[in-house]
Order: sequence, then structure tokens, then C-alpha cells
Amino acid sequence: MRTYLLTRLLIGLLTLVGMSLVIFVLMRIAPGDIVDMIFASAGYVDPAAKAEITKEIGLDQPIAVQYGRWLRDLVQGDLGKSYRYDLPAWQVIRPRIPISLELALLSMAVAVALGVPAGVLSAVRQDRSIDYLIRILSLAGLSMPSFWLGMVIILSLVWLLGWIPSLTYVSPLEDWKANLLQFLFPALAVGLRSSALIMRITRSALLEVLREDYIRTAYAKGQREWVVIWRHALRNAFLPVLTLLGIEFAFLIGGLVVTETVFNLPGVARFLVEAILWRDYPVVQNLVMFIAIIVIGMNLAVDLLYGWLDPRVRHA
Amino acid sequence: MAGSTRGCDMPERSGAFVCASARRAGDRASVLRRILRFCRAKPLGAAGGAIILTMLFMALGAEELATHDPVRTEPARTLDPPSAQHWLGTDYLGRDIYSRLVYGARVSLAVGLASTLLGSVLGGVIGLLSGYAGGSADLVAQRFMDILQGLPLLVLALVMSAALGPSVPNVVVAISVPIIPRAARIIRSSVLAIRESPYIEAARSLGVRHLRIAFRHILPNTIGPFMVLTTAQLGSAILVEAALSFLGLGVPEPFPSWGRMLSISAAEYAHKAPWIVLFPGAAISLAVFGTNLLGDALRDVLDPRLRQRMS
Amino acid sequence: MRPTGERANAARIWLAVWGALLGLLIWAPAAWAGSASPKPGGILSATQSDPPPSLSIHEEGTVATVWPMMPCYNNLVLFDPLKRAENEQTLIGELAESWRWDDGGKALTFRLRKGVKWHDGQLFSAQDVKYTFDVVREAPGAPAKLRVNPRKLWYENIAAIETPDPGTVVFRLSRPQPSLLLMLAAGYSPIYPAHVPLAELRTKCVGTGPFKLKEYRLGEYIDLVKNPDYMIKGRPYLDGIRYVIIKERSTRYAALQAGRLDISYPLELAKTIAQGVKQAVPQIVLIESSTNLNDNLLLNFKRPIFADARVRRAINLAIDRKGYVQAGRQGGATVGGVMLPKPSGAWGLGEKDLVKLPGVGDATKNRAEAKQLLAAAGYGPGKPLKLAVSTRASSFFVDLASFIIDQLKQVGIEASLEQVEMGVWHAKLTRRDYEMAVNNTGMGPDDPDANLYENYKCGSPRNYSDYCNPEVDRLIDVQSQTVDLAKRQKLVQELDVRLQLEGARIILGWAQEYFLMWPYVKNLVPHQSAYNYGRMQEVWLDK
Repeated sequence: MRTYLLTRLLIGLLTLVGMSLVIFVLMRIAPGDIVDMIFASAGYVDPAAKAEITKEIGLDQPIAVQYGRWLRDLVQGDLGKSYRYDLPAWQVIRPRIPISLELALLSMAVAVALGVPAGVLSAVRQDRSIDYLIRILSLAGLSMPSFWLGMVIILSLVWLLGWIPSLTYVSPLEDWKANLLQFLFPALAVGLRSSALIMRITRSALLEVLREDYIRTAYAKGQREWVVIWRHALRNAFLPVLTLLGIEFAFLIGGLVVTETVFNLPGVARFLVEAILWRDYPVVQNLVMFIAIIVIGMNLAVDLLYGWLDPRVRHA
Repeated sequence: MAGSTRGCDMPERSGAFVCASARRAGDRASVLRRILRFCRAKPLGAAGGAIILTMLFMALGAEELATHDPVRTEPARTLDPPSAQHWLGTDYLGRDIYSRLVYGARVSLAVGLASTLLGSVLGGVIGLLSGYAGGSADLVAQRFMDILQGLPLLVLALVMSAALGPSVPNVVVAISVPIIPRAARIIRSSVLAIRESPYIEAARSLGVRHLRIAFRHILPNTIGPFMVLTTAQLGSAILVEAALSFLGLGVPEPFPSWGRMLSISAAEYAHKAPWIVLFPGAAISLAVFGTNLLGDALRDVLDPRLRQRMS
Repeated sequence: MRPTGERANAARIWLAVWGALLGLLIWAPAAWAGSASPKPGGILSATQSDPPPSLSIHEEGTVATVWPMMPCYNNLVLFDPLKRAENEQTLIGELAESWRWDDGGKALTFRLRKGVKWHDGQLFSAQDVKYTFDVVREAPGAPAKLRVNPRKLWYENIAAIETPDPGTVVFRLSRPQPSLLLMLAAGYSPIYPAHVPLAELRTKCVGTGPFKLKEYRLGEYIDLVKNPDYMIKGRPYLDGIRYVIIKERSTRYAALQAGRLDISYPLELAKTIAQGVKQAVPQIVLIESSTNLNDNLLLNFKRPIFADARVRRAINLAIDRKGYVQAGRQGGATVGGVMLPKPSGAWGLGEKDLVKLPGVGDATKNRAEAKQLLAAAGYGPGKPLKLAVSTRASSFFVDLASFIIDQLKQVGIEASLEQVEMGVWHAKLTRRDYEMAVNNTGMGPDDPDANLYENYKCGSPRNYSDYCNPEVDRLIDVQSQTVDLAKRQKLVQELDVRLQLEGARIILGWAQEYFLMWPYVKNLVPHQSAYNYGRMQEVWLDK
């Protein structure tokens, strides 16, 4: 177990190094840099001033030196300075993390809360009309662009209720009700897609389990249907759902980009897009590394949990 | 987007998998019969196939089907509701929405198909070779795939298209990159399963060259999972293209893509002229819906574990 | 007429009288409430689309900085925030109590207000004024240097700034320039504190203005709070202002409609969506006004193809300006030339002259002439002219460019579209790395000097098309020095026609603003330049 963990960690580290190279190179390939951006609102770029600022922030150094410097600082826990805000990158990034995290977790909660019961219902009533209805609805959920869904939600709220959630971030410590209200709708927009996936996987896992002998035995013993499903079947369907959540997480963060913009939540994803457009290398690079660490960590956690929950895997 | 997980419960543990379709591929009558059988067994899947075929038909015959030049603007007729002249109305520049939808099918499907194929073929080859070779080559290839997969798909596509600039080939590349690791993983795991099967052992002992074994004997047997993957990824590629276009990083004008038609300006006219967002939105959803239906049915038919259970 | 007619008439008159009385009874309190003395207090909820690139007005050229930062500073003079028009008659003093021209229009003397304090408690003096404009004009030996200096050209004719005493500043000019006073009245000309390093002003604000910066939550909102020591007693009325940064335009309007915002963002220029909100919430106030912003098409004069005047004219003719108004701006624009057209503009061309400009008259005729010109230049059906149009990768510009491309297609020009990311756009224009470009230009005051030097003079960095004509340069100088208003107007109009005919920068038209605010917001009067009316000193909330 320990060697397994160590290898996984080592591999994860190597992956991170590789990823740092990819993102570093991609950002340098992109045309333009922060200095062009600084001059953008002035409407022209003054070459002398450009050279001066380029030197000041160290962009005149050879690429390899810049890369080495970044990695060195990163290892020492120094994320550098945001070019755009002239503040330590960490100070700029930190307040945004809990917002995206809350949205991601809430979206997952929405996904599970919608997906699992629908999946159970659909499996138990296999091939009846309700099963078809749920399956088609879930496919429809998968077919809707999430940016579109967010927009539809916000426009319908304002046209139907004349109300929309707060547009400045409300901390849960300040007012948890307002906070929940603010996050519920974006979580719905992001989570709907995942809920469709969860429904499908719950359904197929449950169908598989429901054919097993011990379920038949349980039925034969006269246990009530929902008791059987709850006690025996659902527990087995839990594993695939968990795996799915691990994989979905990376995707979910991608989905946040547009949703955070539409609902005006000052989260990591929206900030990342902005930083990409601003060529704010320190912020982009470190943020991407941060997301990668979370994603890799999440996958690792899921694998470990999987092993812990499933004896077959644990012993293998 | 959708497919990443759809395949995940399929590969790892799939047993020896001998694809009958490859062997009998030449027999046209039997192909037709099989399609018919598929339609009868999987009406929803067939419906999905029909949707995709219709869209393909639209894409290919855009010149004949369109009633107007899709880029012709008519300032005097902006935001016209659907009428006999403009079947689905006009947009804010006075362009005919129906004709743009028809041409948009071409762009959206072409970008979707091209990026899916590019990604799956590249990923498939990597998966095939690394799965067959095993050892350190496999390890390196897999770590490389990890790197590509660790990044959220949309974020990666975003950085890519910022780096490469928006143009049709660049958008295709940007969307295809995130598909590579998914394809590689799925193909690799089915290769791993087939590699140890008796007939491959036999081929090896007969002294057939490795590359030949990989491409002639193993590759045909991965067609099933490959097809499942491709249909699943097609839908997701269409959605990513739409999201990129929405963010202004997708296929540039004058090519009318469905995502572009749903752009931010379109959203602003939504309450005054709902048709300008309704129809492209429906087109995207329908196309993705179709690929999902087909993908589901294909998986049921081609996934050996499920097939066994059905028989 | 029947005998009863007279009685009926009388009844009608009585009814009218009673009605009028009743109406008066209802109207009077409402009118009285409307003109009631301003109520102090309250926080104004404002918005903007992008975070300001920095908070330093002198280093930026975007409304995203001027709009939220203007309340923090004062000018010497300002266009009266309560009047819509911007001209010499509507100037009011801010830090200057009075001003006068001497020396045949070559010296401008300001008497300054006394006892004004900076937000950090230091005393304001003439030295700060000298410092500010020495820095901006990059005078030899200037005490500091701006990182980016977008408006250096405005102050080119200042030869020296003198401070005979702490209450007096004298601007000495190398030649008469009546426009200087108007440029000083723009929101872009705040007085900076000499004792605060320029770099610090990028992230904080030390001004003399009616509001102080309380907090800037990066990318989220900017909070301003009332300056209790403001130089004018009893102002500002508001306790504070919050500028919420909302990236999505439809979200911004949804927020306004839902009452989470009190006012819209200037320069949205969104007719359809603003009218939609007005329709949904009839009590909301919609103010339509012209703006000092034009949409234009740039031809890169460095490219050999555009050395051919026939090609330039053909393109100029090909774009139907009325079509642009409808398609490009949904009817929310007016056709015009180089200067904001009459009647909204003081300098631009009137209807009569505009009709003579290429692309304004009958579209069919214009297209026919364009095709002839192209044929004469050697292009036609067999050998179409192929060009590339660049524009910013944002919905509005891409749509406008699509329209332009289609217009060109109708005269046989095959144009392709290149989308350029916002951040790289001006760098590209600066390098003149484009063939044709769809762009727009927002101007500070409606003033020929502010416009012509920047956008049309040889070698100006923002003369993106690199149009260069020494004769035109000379005429620009001549009008600038002309003190007689009528004479100067005539000169400017001649220049306007000439520049448009030569295709120096093909003006498509001037956009209109559709500013929205809830009825309880008082004393906020949108001007035609969004960069000049954001002081918020007089604004109050009737809640």
C-alpha cells in the first residue's frame, strides 16, 4: 500500500512537471504580452517604454531562464507577482479559491441529488415509460451547452420574477442564506450535465446488481423493495458514481468558466480566462498548476477510496 | 464533452474481444442486415443515427437546401420573424437564419468530426502502440496522456486557441487535443486485453512482425470501442466548439457556426426576437442528442459484456 | 347646431376646468417632490463591464478607469455635470475659481481655490497643477514620468507652466490654442498630487474629489465613500458609490432590471436591449443621447493597394451608411463625418453636406460607381480584389465586420475576416500590421484639436491608417489657432469633407447612447462624451 501510494505520488509529481512545461510553452506561443495589454487602453504601444517594462518584469530573459526561475520559485512556495495587479499572485488568487470550490462542490451535490434518485427510479422501472422519460431527459441534459443553460436561467429569473441573485459575492459567514441562494442557480447550470451522467451510471450499475442472486434472495425473503434497493443494491452502485465524480471534477472546472461569467461570481475559472487574455503569465501558470494539483489529488483520492470501499481492489 | 465518462466503465475489465464486424466487413448484404437488426433492436439509437444523417445531409447539400446566401446582410430586414420568405426569421444583421443553420451544420459537423477523428486516431495510435509495446514506452506515453488529461478540457482548448489564434484548423486542433488521452486510454486497455489472447500469441510465435501484429491483428479488434468513443466524443466536440465560439474563440466569421449564432449579441436580442436563439440552440442540442442516442445504442451492441448479457 | 349645444359646450368647459384643477392637485405635490431639495445619503449602485486596467486616469484611455475614478479627483475646470451640452459656455470652475486668456490667446491664467485638501490631508496648491501637466506633456526636466501617456498630444502647445503664487497658475502657449481650455475640462484631465508617486496611483487614489476610494476588490467591485472634507460644503449628497464589475452585458441589464443596479454603464450603446428593459419596467428612465464615439473602417495607407485613390473611394462608396445604422447599431446611430455631426455636434457636418459624402446617398448608384472604379483599377468579375479585414474578437466588432465584408462583396471585393484578441489589438494597429480594420474611436470633448491631431496628423501613433498629407496637417494647425469661432467652424468642416473623401479613416457613423436609470436617481445627466460626466458630486437618491 505504501509503495503504491509513493509511486502514485511520484507519477503525479512528474505529471505536474510535464504540465508546467506545456502551459508555459503555450502561453509563450500566444501572440502579445502583458506590456501590449498595459498599452491597450492608450491605443498605441510606445516601443521605448515597452522595452523598459519588459525588462522590469524580466520578460527579456531567455525562455529557459524564465522557466527555470518559475519552477524554482514555485518549489519555494513563491508564486511570483501578478503582472496585471502588481500584487503577489497568491494574494490575487486566494480569495477566489473558496468561491470556485463552493460552486464545484455544490454542483456535485446537485448532480448527485438529482442523478442518483433518477437513476434508481429508472433502473427499478426498467423499460417502463418512466424509465424512457428519465433516460431521454438525461440525454437532453447532456445535450445542452452549459453556457446556454446559465443564460436561460438568469434571463428567465429576471423576466419571470424580476429578481436575480446578488452580483457581488456574499460570504457564507456573512449570510449563509443569501450565499446559498446566490450559488444555487449556477450550481444547477453546472450540475445538470453531471447529474445526467450520474443517472446513467447509477442506472446501469443498479441493473447489474439487481440481477445478482443475493438481491433475488432478499426479495424472496419478502423484504420491501425500497429496503432491498437501499440496503443492498445502492451500496454497490456507489463505486462507479464515485469514479465518475473523480473524472467529472476536471470537466466541471471547465464548465465553471462560462457559468461564473454569466452569474458574475468572482471565482478562479473566470479569473483564469481573464488572466489568459491579459497574458498575466504568473497567474495563468500558477492557477493551472493549482487546478492540476486539485484534479490529480482528486483522482488519487477517488482511487484510494475505491480501494478502501471495494475489497476486490484492495487485495489486488 | 459527454463522452469522457461514458467509456470509462467499459474498457479496463473487458475480456477477450473478438470483433466479428471486421472479418465480415466486406459482405455488404450482411452489413445491411445488421443495420436493420440494429434498428429493430435499438429504436432510440436508430433515431439518433437518423438525426445525425439528416444533419450530415444538410451539411453536404447546403448549397441546394439554403434559400439565401448565409452571409448576405439585409439592413432593412433585421430581426424579422419567421415568414414565407425567411422560414426561420432573420438575425440582427438581417441574415437568413434558416440558411445560416444549414451552412452552420457544415461548419459545426465538420469541426466536430474532424477534431474527433484527429483526436481519436492520434490517441488510438498512441494507445495501440503503447499498449502493445508495454514497459517504459507505455509508461512515458501514459504520463504524457496524464498531462493532457489533468487540464480541464475547456481551459486547455481556451489556452490552445489563444496560442494558435482562431481559424478553422486551429479550432480543430484545439478541440482534438483533449480527446487524445481519452482515446489512448480506451484503446490501450482493450489492446491489453487482446494482447494475451491465444491467436495473438500464435501470430507472435509464427514470427509476424510486431507492427504488423499491432495494426493487422489487434487494431481491427478495437474498432468497437473506437466507434463507441468516437460517437460519444462527437457530441462533446460540437459542444466545445459552441462554447469556444460563445467565448469568441471559435470558428471565425464568415463561417456561420451554430455556437457563433448563439453568441453574446444573440442573447441580447433573445426577448425581442426569440427565434434567433431558439433555432441554433435547438440545432446544437439536437445534434448532440443524436450522437448521444447513437452512442448509447452502439455501446450496448458493441460492448461485449453487455452483449453477453443480452444473449 | 341643436339648442342644447351651448349647454353641452359649457358643461364641457366646466369639465375641463375641473379636470385641470384636479390634475393640478395631483401634479403639484408630485412636481414639488420632483424639485424638492436634494436628500443626502444613500449608496449609488453603478456598474462597469471590465475591471479598470489601472486606477490612474492619466495612464489610461478607457471609460473603465475614468468612470469609477472621476469622483475621486477634480479638474481645474469641468463641463457642468448638470447640463447636457459641452462647450465653452457650460464650463464651471472646480479647483480653479476663475480663468482668463491673455497675451492674444497665448496665456491662460487660473485663480485657484484656497484651503483645498488632498484625501491624505495635505494641502493642494498651484504646484500640484504645474506638476500634473509638466508630467503629462513630458516637459524637459519633468519630475516624474508616466508609464503610459496617451494624451501627451493634447498639451503639445504648452511652452511653460508658471506659478507666480500658490493660488495662481499660468499656462504659456507657443501659439494660440482656444481648445486647450476644453481639453482641460475633460474627465481625462484630473489634477494629480505632486507628493504621491505615480506608480502608487495605479492601485489607489489620492485626489481632492468628492469621493474617496474605500476598497477595490480586484475584479469584483470598487467602493467609493463620501469625502467629508470636500471643498464644496454640502457635497456630495451620496454616502458612497459601488461600481460592480459585471462582465456579461446581458447580466448587467438583468441586474439593472431586477433593481440590483441603479444606473447603467455609459457607452453600452445598446439600443435594442435598453429598450427591452424600458418595455419591461416602464418606470425606468431611458435617456437617449448622441455620443462622441464613431465606428470606422481603417485602410492601411502603407499597403500599395491603398495608394490607389480609386480603390479607396470604391470601398468608401461600397459601404452603405444607412445600412450600417440599421444593421451595425440597430438604428442607434447617426451618419456623420470626421467630427460629431450636427445638430448634436458643434463642429461636424449638417445633413446638407453629409449627403455629398461617399456611401451616404443612394446605395445602388454608389455601388455602381464603386464597381466602375474597381474596373478602372483593373479589378472585376474575373479578377476580384481580395482583401483582409481585421477586427477585435468580440461579438459587436465581429458582427460589424461581417456586415462590412458583405457590403464589399456586393461590389465584387472578396474580403476575409481576421479576429484579433482584444489585448493584442492595439499592438497590432500600432505595428500597422493589418490591411483593413474595423475599429471604433471614442473621443473626450467634442473638439477639433482633440480629434484631428490624434487621429489624422502625420506620424501620430493613433493615426492608425498612417494617412499623411502635409497640406492637411497645415490646415489642422490653422484651424487650431483660429480664434474666430465661425471661421474656425468653416475650416473644420472643409477638413471634414476632405478627410472623408480621401478615405483617411472611413467613418461609418456615430453611435447613440441609451442610458438607463431608475427614477429615484437625480441630477445624473449623461453627456455626449462618457468620459466627462462621472463626477457624481451632484447626484442624489430620492428614496
